[in-house]
Amino acid sequence: MNAAPLIRLEGVGRRFRSGTIEVEALRDAHLEIKPGEYLSIVGPSGSGKSTLLNIIALLDRQTSGVYRFEGSVVTELSEGYRTGLRAHRIGFVFQSFHLLAHRTVTENVILSMLYNRLPPKERKPRARAALERVGLSHRADFRPGRLSGGERQRVAIARAIATGPAILICDEPTGNLDSASTESVLDLFDELRSDGLTLLVVTHDPAVSARAERTLQMHDGRLSEPS
Amino acid sequence: MTSARFRARFRLKDLLAEALAGLFTRPGRSLLTALGAVLGIASLVATLGIAETAGAQIVTAFDELAATSVVVTNERGFFGGETRVALPWDSEERIARLNGVIAAGTMAEVNLAGRLTSAVPVNDPLGLTEFQVPMIAASPGLLAASLGELSSGRWFDSGHSVRADRVAVLGNGVAQRLNVTRVDQQPVVFVGDDSYVVLGILEDVRRQPELLNSIIVPEGTARELYELESPTTVQIHTEIGAASLISTQAPIAVSPDDPGAVQVQAPLEPEEVRADVEEDVNALFLMLGGVSLLVGAIGIANVTLVSVLERVGEIGLRRALGAGRRHIAYQFLLESTGVGFFGGVIGASLGVLVVVSVSAVRTWTPVMDARIALAAPLLGGLVGLVAGLYPAWRASRMAPVDSLRAGMG
Ligand SMILES: Nc1ncnc2c1ncn2[C@@H]1O[C@H](COP(=O)(O)OP(=O)(O)O)[C@@H](O)[C@H]1O
Ligand SMILES: [Mg+2]
Repeated sequence: MNAAPLIRLEGVGRRFRSGTIEVEALRDAHLEIKPGEYLSIVGPSGSGKSTLLNIIALLDRQTSGVYRFEGSVVTELSEGYRTGLRAHRIGFVFQSFHLLAHRTVTENVILSMLYNRLPPKERKPRARAALERVGLSHRADFRPGRLSGGERQRVAIARAIATGPAILICDEPTGNLDSASTESVLDLFDELRSDGLTLLVVTHDPAVSARAERTLQMHDGRLSEPS
Repeated sequence: MTSARFRARFRLKDLLAEALAGLFTRPGRSLLTALGAVLGIASLVATLGIAETAGAQIVTAFDELAATSVVVTNERGFFGGETRVALPWDSEERIARLNGVIAAGTMAEVNLAGRLTSAVPVNDPLGLTEFQVPMIAASPGLLAASLGELSSGRWFDSGHSVRADRVAVLGNGVAQRLNVTRVDQQPVVFVGDDSYVVLGILEDVRRQPELLNSIIVPEGTARELYELESPTTVQIHTEIGAASLISTQAPIAVSPDDPGAVQVQAPLEPEEVRADVEEDVNALFLMLGGVSLLVGAIGIANVTLVSVLERVGEIGLRRALGAGRRHIAYQFLLESTGVGFFGGVIGASLGVLVVVSVSAVRTWTPVMDARIALAAPLLGGLVGLVAGLYPAWRASRMAPVDSLRAGMG
């Protein structure tokens, strides 16, 4: 696969400063993700995985290095454009689902389409298709409170893929799930991967990272090939 | 690749829908939040409505009575000090000659030196049928000048006064106590040893209400029997609009040598009275309404801020899904505006209800500018908008990463 990289990090670092204490959560990260890849990053808690993901997902800004998303240097993009990329090109899945409790499953999925340029009449069909993709058509009108953990995470995944993003970024997607649910989510990743979706999954669980085609290790803010 | 294609957007319709959903997610809380605005708007609407209603009422009452009444007395001030000048016995004729006077009459309380009044000529040892009744000596014109009505019989005329006839008119209250209900058989009442033929019964007056509890006799009679020296009061009924002119001419007419020695009670100009009353009522209650509205705004601001802090996770999620800072700010701003607006609707209804109830209790006709009731929800919305500014700003400043982390769980 010689396609242009979707994501390219060149010496990216992130420093946090709280008062006089400085934490270098991410140091000199180099990374390329090509379209269609299924990449996982594994590492212990506190090693900087979320820091890296937040930068890649444009939720945070690096303090050093260059980050290119689809060829553009993101630090040169306006805030409005970065926001737009989040709405159109990036799907994000959180460890703790982040579903709105008072809305139905369908309404939660539609939420991701409110902020992009999709014609409103396409929202319902797309939400339906995404729910079908994750195997939850029969839960379309439920509220999240009545779903199991695995189902909730699949709703979150449906929400993330409904907009047709270039990449699905998942931060500890199985962190709150039992092993059966974990298995169903990982199976879903495999299916999405074979549909051609680019996947970046971060986890502290080697069993989860083992399902990806390629795995990187994170240790103390440093990204490395597995030993 | 970097084209406007991916610019984030948030349609107005979606914005409204999201804000409404925010409101109705917790309807109970939204209602409580709106309470301050409800009370503020309600008191404003009630205030304006009642002021307007009362104002209209005063103007009506005023036109009928006060605006056409001028009273001249020869007594000094409120404390009933010494009489300074004697009003002439022909005051009624002198005043009646003035242009704009419809009727005039004089009166004076008679010193009965303890004489009691009764309906029968008995020496009643128990005193059960004898009463201490004030006597007023009046001129023939007083009935018309005080806008009085007789329930039966007639008022005396100048002939009775000149001849000092022993005739009397009974005020309604006195007639009841003496058990005199009709005059066609010429009933007689006794004051001390003197007997009076009752000419009529005074049913009601609009001015000088003490007449209703008095026995009223001609002035000539009071002069002869009780040495009455002079009238003390001239009651004048004027044409509408003539009162202020009459109030300057009357003292000269009755006391040409020293017009300043008599007291004149004349109505204020109609416009002045109305403006005064409305301004007083309005200023006070508008201030109250304003204060409650301010408190309401602070309440909305407070709860909106709490709701922002409670919904950090949702804010982070929306930012991650592509909402810009502006979109977040608009959403919360619209929510607080909505709370204020609905508060205004409820408040305006309550306010109108108060105006109608108060009017019903006081048998007034409710008068209210419809624009007030219509503007109230808009004012409520404005209050909500202003109250939402700070919380919305806070919400929009939150970094997506921080709010996602804070909203975990
Ligand atoms: N906003 C922040 N301010 C200060 N330190 C932070 C902040 N975010 C993360 N860190 C620190 O950076 C390090 C990496 O954190 P994180 O990326 O969340 O790790 P992981 O996701 O691998 O568990 C930790 O030591 C954490 O305390
Ligand atoms: Mg993490």
